[in-house]
Amino acid sequence: MRTARRIASRFAQMVFVLWAVATILFLVFRLMPGNPLVAYIDPTFTEEQQQELLQRFGLDRPLHEQYVIYLGNLLRGDLGDSFFYRDSVTSLLWDVFPNTLALTMVALIIAYVIGVLLGALLAWLRTSRFEGIAIPLVLLSRAAPEFWLGMILLAIFSFQLGWFPAGGAFTAGSEAAVGPGRFFSLDFLRHLFLPALTLAIYLHGLPLLLMRSNMLETLKEDFVTMARMKGLSTWSVLVRHAARNALLPVLTAFALGIGYSIGGNVVVETVFSWPGIGRLLVRAVSASDYPLAQGAFLMIAAVMVFMNFVADLLYNVLDPRVSQDA
Amino acid sequence: MKQWMSLAGFTLALALVAGAFAQGDRIRSIELLSRPQAAAPQEFQSAQLIAQAWRELGLDVTVNAMPWEQLADVVWYERDVWDVTAWQMVGRPERGDPDEIVFNLFHSSTAESGYNFIGYNNPAYDAVAEAQRVETDPDARQAIVAEAQQIINADQPYMFLVHPQVAYAFRSDIWSPDSIVEQNGIGIKNFWSFIGAQPASDQRDMILNSADVVQAINPFYISGAVDSWITELIWDRLLRVGPDGLPQPWAAESYTWVDDTTIDVTLRSGMTWHDGEPVTVEDVVFSFEAPMGGEVPMYAPFVSGIESVEALDDSTVRFSLKQPSAAFLVTSLAKVNLVPEHIWGPILADLVDDPDNAESYQEDMPIGSGPLSFVRWRASEEVVLETNADHFSAPSYDRWILRIVPNSEAALGMLRRGELNFLSAYAGDPQILVDTSQTEPINVVASTDIGFRFIGFNNRRAPFDDAAFRRALSLAVNRNLIAQAAYRGFAVPSNSPVSPALPFWHEESVMNFETGIDLAKSILEEAGYTTDGSGRLLYPDGVSETLD
Repeated sequence: MRTARRIASRFAQMVFVLWAVATILFLVFRLMPGNPLVAYIDPTFTEEQQQELLQRFGLDRPLHEQYVIYLGNLLRGDLGDSFFYRDSVTSLLWDVFPNTLALTMVALIIAYVIGVLLGALLAWLRTSRFEGIAIPLVLLSRAAPEFWLGMILLAIFSFQLGWFPAGGAFTAGSEAAVGPGRFFSLDFLRHLFLPALTLAIYLHGLPLLLMRSNMLETLKEDFVTMARMKGLSTWSVLVRHAARNALLPVLTAFALGIGYSIGGNVVVETVFSWPGIGRLLVRAVSASDYPLAQGAFLMIAAVMVFMNFVADLLYNVLDPRVSQDA
Repeated sequence: MKQWMSLAGFTLALALVAGAFAQGDRIRSIELLSRPQAAAPQEFQSAQLIAQAWRELGLDVTVNAMPWEQLADVVWYERDVWDVTAWQMVGRPERGDPDEIVFNLFHSSTAESGYNFIGYNNPAYDAVAEAQRVETDPDARQAIVAEAQQIINADQPYMFLVHPQVAYAFRSDIWSPDSIVEQNGIGIKNFWSFIGAQPASDQRDMILNSADVVQAINPFYISGAVDSWITELIWDRLLRVGPDGLPQPWAAESYTWVDDTTIDVTLRSGMTWHDGEPVTVEDVVFSFEAPMGGEVPMYAPFVSGIESVEALDDSTVRFSLKQPSAAFLVTSLAKVNLVPEHIWGPILADLVDDPDNAESYQEDMPIGSGPLSFVRWRASEEVVLETNADHFSAPSYDRWILRIVPNSEAALGMLRRGELNFLSAYAGDPQILVDTSQTEPINVVASTDIGFRFIGFNNRRAPFDDAAFRRALSLAVNRNLIAQAAYRGFAVPSNSPVSPALPFWHEESVMNFETGIDLAKSILEEAGYTTDGSGRLLYPDGVSETLD
């Protein structure tokens, strides 16, 4: 009962945050400099044609009326039509969302698997020579700009060696690009490899460092000493006792990382011509395409808030102490 | 006698006024607008070079860079508030006829909300611009267009900078170089290359690139430049602008002028729509009448000169014009897409009761009669067309695939790898492209654009309302320097709105212009401008600065 009430209250918080985000987005886009019609209308249009367009998009109404219409549509799941593409925002977003999700998930999973394993290893090998080399390298990968890393990988593995295609999600005109099975085709995976690798290299530093410091803490705890005293093997102590406990915060970071990365792939998407939400978003913002930019930001915010919610629940399951404290 | 008296009185008054204001006002600080370095490096660099030259004349100049959306907002919608701006006219096949450039850009009727955003107003020019419009004899019209260019040269409402050269490339091991056509002022990326390219290997797909996304595939709506590459291929037109810039029969087998305002067009027989229905004269009439209603605003100007269009028999259509029009062939017959009435008739009828119009309507499966037909379109990925084997001018390859590639370097890498075989957009350094072609089977073709880059003087505002002042400012700037330094040699100097890429219409005599700071100074001196002790430029004696 108590758990149910807490979940309900978390859910209500989530809805409130989404409303706040939606409102801020609404205001931000209308206060931006520049007339949205400049991007949309051919300047040769007559005054009447311009007025007609303003009316069609409701841009001639007072701000509060626009806001009420906007919220009403939002509740019905209608994000409006893009000024630029003249197509529904929902369908534009759904077109590219699976690509972004695939890129993000693959990159995150690689980053976290490698990060966790290396992190645990580095904690174990504390003060070794290996650590002296590995830690600066990890910090470097974290600090290197993504576009630079992406271009280097492109230049080596695509332009020079020719192992992987230089961009896009499918080979030009490929029939594999049609239908729901497309995300499991070999063609898609070959195109996914370089962008996912770039993103994974960029992302793996966080779980690695997190895991390492957690492990260092955990290894000092009494139950680890206890396990050692019981005569368990090093492997068993490390993996079954220490790592399991050190993993908790990393899992939370993973859930939140999905949210953060969904919207943050713009650079990688541009370098690799990857058809994702980031590119759509950048185009929308520079063209003052309010509805599309709003929709994209809202979608990213929704994923982020939702993953926060999931992380919360996950914590309850993984660490019962959290629910007892509440 | 009376005249002499009044002249004497006038001179006296002038002398008094001059005495009262011994020196003219100091010219205020001038703001030169440009897009930012990151978005338009050549434009920004040109603006810096120009500001430098103008400072030598004694002007205080600041370059103010702003993103395109903001710049357009100020320059286009607040026409009274800015001084000078960098601007461009892009080349399009239909600008191969000089009418759009000669009339729309400089005629005073378009000054308030149209293309004449600089507010140029010269009745003598207006008369010439109107005259070329109705003159149907090409040679007589050529002379009038030349006169228009001479007036522009004398008045310098714009300061023309360069006609840029655009470089495109293709794989010569995949496309036989003889079959790639360079169209005057457009380059090799054009309709004629797309339909004429001969495969030189077993690669049967033409794979091109664009950095911009496709906005719409709609016969009644062209927004972005890329859209028109596709619409041109899916939908036929009665005439086409040929590689030489002149209109030639296309879906029309022939056309004849019956008199000055009547033209009969014979439709080619045996054409079919991509859904198998035959193309009829009723479809042709429908295609030209549709934009006359309220649902197709973008194409309305292209049919506004038509009084009536009717089918005479099952292969002939007669167009009656409101007045003689020289440009009708290019701006109307070679412009309007032929659409199937059985598809668009019901759509337009539905739209009448809807606030939307044909421009926001996107067919799931666009149907035209052109040499390529629609297969699929994914907004941020690609557009796929396939050859329409029944077409009278069907390409000899299988598919035409446009890839959206936002990264220039990656596009070049793709060309080298063969992932692309026709580089139809390249924003990087052209020299790198040329260097690459030395070692690989890649042909690069740089062509002079119909379009041009220029500095627009706000002719409404002092001191730019004085032609002598504009002329001095223009002659202060070395165009070769701009072409070499800002455009790295991929541009030719310009002094006319009509590009040398249109040799028939381009007036060569206006190109003999010398530039130099001393020359500019002497023009200013002659027009009465002086400098004060600190070297700042002053208005002529007695002139005070008034804005608004």
